[in-house]
Amino acid sequence: MKRRVEPVYYLFLVPTLVLFTAFVVGPALVGIFYSFTDYIGVGTWSFIGLSNYLALFDDPAILQSYTFTLGFAAVTVIIAQVIALGLAVGLSSRIRFLASLRSVFVLPMVLSGIVVAYVFSFLFSNTLPAAATAIGFAPLEQSILGNPDLAWLSIVIVSAWQTIPGAMLVYIGGLTAIPADLYEVSALDGAGPWRQFRSITVPLISGFIVINTILGVKGYLGAYDVIVGLTGGGPGTSTRSVAVTIFGGFTGGDYAYQMTNATIFFVLTVLISIVQLIATRGRMVRL
Amino acid sequence: MSSDVRHTTMLGRRSFLARAAGVALVGAFGAACSAPESRGTLRFYEQKQEVIAYFDKLLRAFEAEHPGLSVVHDSTSSIAPQFVRNDPADVGCFNANLELARYVERGQLSDLSHLPSAATIRPDIGKLAEQYATFPGRTSVLPYSLAAAGVIYNRKIFADHRLPVPTTWTEFVDVCTELKRAGVVPVYATGRTTWTIWQGLFDYSVGSLVDTAEFFRTMKELGTDVGPDSEVSFQKTFAVAMERAKTISTFFNADQAVRSYEDGNLAFGKGQAAMYLQGPWAIGQIALVDPKLDIGTFALPVSENPNDRKARVNVDLGLYIPQRSADVPAAAELVEFLMRPDVINAYNQDNLAYATTKTAPPQRDPRLAGLQTYVDRGAFYQGAGTFIPTSIPLGNYLQAAIGSGDFDTMLRQLDADWRRLARRGATT
Repeated sequence: MKRRVEPVYYLFLVPTLVLFTAFVVGPALVGIFYSFTDYIGVGTWSFIGLSNYLALFDDPAILQSYTFTLGFAAVTVIIAQVIALGLAVGLSSRIRFLASLRSVFVLPMVLSGIVVAYVFSFLFSNTLPAAATAIGFAPLEQSILGNPDLAWLSIVIVSAWQTIPGAMLVYIGGLTAIPADLYEVSALDGAGPWRQFRSITVPLISGFIVINTILGVKGYLGAYDVIVGLTGGGPGTSTRSVAVTIFGGFTGGDYAYQMTNATIFFVLTVLISIVQLIATRGRMVRL
Repeated sequence: MSSDVRHTTMLGRRSFLARAAGVALVGAFGAACSAPESRGTLRFYEQKQEVIAYFDKLLRAFEAEHPGLSVVHDSTSSIAPQFVRNDPADVGCFNANLELARYVERGQLSDLSHLPSAATIRPDIGKLAEQYATFPGRTSVLPYSLAAAGVIYNRKIFADHRLPVPTTWTEFVDVCTELKRAGVVPVYATGRTTWTIWQGLFDYSVGSLVDTAEFFRTMKELGTDVGPDSEVSFQKTFAVAMERAKTISTFFNADQAVRSYEDGNLAFGKGQAAMYLQGPWAIGQIALVDPKLDIGTFALPVSENPNDRKARVNVDLGLYIPQRSADVPAAAELVEFLMRPDVINAYNQDNLAYATTKTAPPQRDPRLAGLQTYVDRGAFYQGAGTFIPTSIPLGNYLQAAIGSGDFDTMLRQLDADWRRLARRGATT
């Protein structure tokens, strides 16, 4: 028997569709349109075909920003997922002060990125060097923010710190869904905690790992506020992400060119997400 | 006439509402009191956060003198959105820089040459506003406030070490060496805030050695042909200046890479350094730290001839009326009011700047006395960094150059970036 869907349900979609189209799809299409022009944001413009695209692939600054962003996203997502999973396992076990501990670990999530970045920038430029000087630890006496080879680490640390709670909550939800008797049975069969983690926990939360990784990578690819607050893209151009470069084009009158950049970045982000989905499809275990 | 047509058909949304409200008010009270007929509402956009209250008072005075006209005062640091929305304010009061130049070049601003006040502008200051871009046959911007920048120095530290104000490059290096030997930070730099290093180190090093306006005019003509062998180029023309910059950077505080503009004002205000490469905007901030700090200013000498010294200036505020203003005649009345000698002179006196008119009195603040002679003689330049579009991250390049001491790589990079911008016509 075919079930008819009550038409009123479609009505519920309308507000979202309208808002999404008006404020996301529409502007995005306009942006893609202008990437084929020489528009600077005001006045007249003309079509210049693929010139912006050709210029983009020949621009070392653009290529450098992609290398930085992709590398940063890859490193951060691994670090953040490992720590988030570890915390989730810890905070799902029977320990004292569980509720208050969970709240403490979730705190970073409620702070805005730019605030977090400014606080950490103070720590990195003042507190850390002062502490290192006090104990005579030479490598950290100069702030890592001023070191072109190390500044990226500060962005990894702060981004991970800020995004771990969200991932951790998802994992805690996943862990709660695993029936406790699985662990009891496996314990009777002689499985230790590590074996239980590998053979029960990880397979059963693999779906959550996929979701967290895809969302995480997507977020890190768009890194902007943390970078602006910590390094402003410096020292030199060592930490200029794609988003920082794109935004620079608006004040610089490079509107159409950076729209081209944004279009390519959009396609790349979608591709990465699809590849991640395909690579992990069929690996999820269901009970 | 086209402006009349625009007046009626392209009335801005806000001014329309204001007029509607005005009409309603007049309708309600008109019979009772003899209120002047409403002439509508002007919108005034101004850039400087520090002077919002100041301009507010001026605008209220203007309203009192022009019954029926009311002025809405808005402030923004970004000029683009209002033009992009096709709804620019009736009168703009903005930094006359490369960003504004884009609207000048594309004819978005109306001609002000017929205004009486246009004739009162000092010609050499009027030319400054045209160095970035012009529109044929138009005076698009009236310079309103000129800021002059040089080296801010701590007079007490100089006196304690019996150091003279340097007038040549050698003397400057001697002063720095002497200070360093005495354990005093010679020059405080804030490399973390990128604009501070191009505004100070880069612009000052170049300004007295290279005619910046002429250099960038030629650079635009050369476009994609810029290179080591072209008539001018960053590599060739700025080579000596960047040697100077490199030497100066060796006298910076050791932690300059992680110090921000705010850190710099605080440190200099506390007397932790002898010199600071900043403009008058920093003087107000330093005074917040120590209002009694004895400071002076001088133009950075970068050659052996004291007569080469020049001050770095910028048209900190310029007045313009967009083509699309709903009420150009009323906007012109506001411009004329702001340009009145008592108004313009008082504003600039109070805000550590220089009025742009031929009859302008000297700036009386003793902290700026060292730069007065350059303004009087017209011995000034607009900073090289202000001619470089922000799509070239000059400040970031400088961070790297100061860190590594390799300024040649930066100059080669600038030439390469310039060629790339020229290829897609984005050098303005």
